[in-house]
Amino acid sequence: MSSLELRLARLREAIVFPETPDLAGRFEPGPGSRSRPRRLRPLVLGLAVVLAVAAATLTLSPGARSAFLEVLRLRGATIERVEELPDVPTTGLLPLGERVSRAQAERSVGFALLDVGEPDAVYVRRGGPGGKVATLVYGDPARPRLVLTEFRGAIFDGFLKKTAAGGTRIEPVRVRGERGLFISGDAHFVMFLDASGRIADEPTYLAGNTLLWNRGPLLLRLEGRLSRAEALELARAAR
Amino acid sequence: MVSRPPTEDELVERARRGDGAAFGTLIREHQEIAFRTAFLIARNAADAEEAAQSGFMKAFGALPRFRHGAPLRPWLLAIVANEARNRRRSAWRREQLAQRAATELPSGDAAPSPEGSVLAAEQRATLLAALETLRDEERLVLSCRYLLDLSEEETAATLRIRRGTVKSRTSRALERLRAELGEEA
Repeated sequence: MSSLELRLARLREAIVFPETPDLAGRFEPGPGSRSRPRRLRPLVLGLAVVLAVAAATLTLSPGARSAFLEVLRLRGATIERVEELPDVPTTGLLPLGERVSRAQAERSVGFALLDVGEPDAVYVRRGGPGGKVATLVYGDPARPRLVLTEFRGAIFDGFLKKTAAGGTRIEPVRVRGERGLFISGDAHFVMFLDASGRIADEPTYLAGNTLLWNRGPLLLRLEGRLSRAEALELARAAR
Repeated sequence: MVSRPPTEDELVERARRGDGAAFGTLIREHQEIAFRTAFLIARNAADAEEAAQSGFMKAFGALPRFRHGAPLRPWLLAIVANEARNRRRSAWRREQLAQRAATELPSGDAAPSPEGSVLAAEQRATLLAALETLRDEERLVLSCRYLLDLSEEETAATLRIRRGTVKSRTSRALERLRAELGEEA
């Protein structure tokens, strides 16, 4: 072994690798559970493909819509890479915060994150309603296709405002029996009542449509190039 | 009477039949090297964790196709490495090993003098910085062989190249590294 190889080998002992997470524990059954490891959540790739297919089928016929909804309910199935959703233009406001693992994000915000498929990246930042905001990004973080933001708060539609004159449509919706708002059209800011009753505002990340809804103490916001039906179907399936 | 711990082959057989606990035991044995391999490829701890978990899950599903009696570690590393390659982000997300070396690396010597510690740390940081300048394929082959201490066979499986290519690429990468450091062979 040459001198250089020896120095490289010694480097091995000096490298500081990030701490290895307990991956084995995720396969080992807990008390009272079955021995089969937990299933991974469906990959966002599958979701993106479903949505791409859905976008195509929705333009075909009313009958195709029900087929699309059926596909979404089956999103855990394996779906091969055939095409992807187009990137959605951003609003230029992408202060996503620090990229962390999902477990770190959940520890930071203090609640279990909901998702609409396995995210490509998870971020946490300070500020916003509730003090900490978690953001799940689907697609390349620099050009997301779908962004799901989660924090403690409540919809306060009396303070919903739009930054562009006209062109923004706001429709009340219900998601699993709870209040929601579907906002389509121009870019907008949304104001919320945070967990302590203060009013705060939040910019949107993507230039697509937005669905806001409450799930218990949480306020969730889904942004992307989604129709109302698509957004609602994803929100109802979020877990 | 004390029962002996199950062998790797026995654990593989149990995992093949859907025993998650057996697979967990196998993973516990290999998770550190798998995570570090993923980290050196993805250059980001969050991506490495996702790659390792996804790779292990895929390996669990693929166990029926795993060749009986074959070594498990290179097979697992190949799957995890493939997941890590799929998760590589743009360069700005990658953590620089050189930065970690300059700020965090402890001295590897036993009770060195303060001057010796500084010098050793600087030399390691210089070596890591030079390693970072290599092309990805060269950096990775040296990382596998020397930073992870993988065998040629494991390196070949991890990087999806032939064993002969591991040898030739390692030799070429060492030459480039020497040139980068201004050293002669």
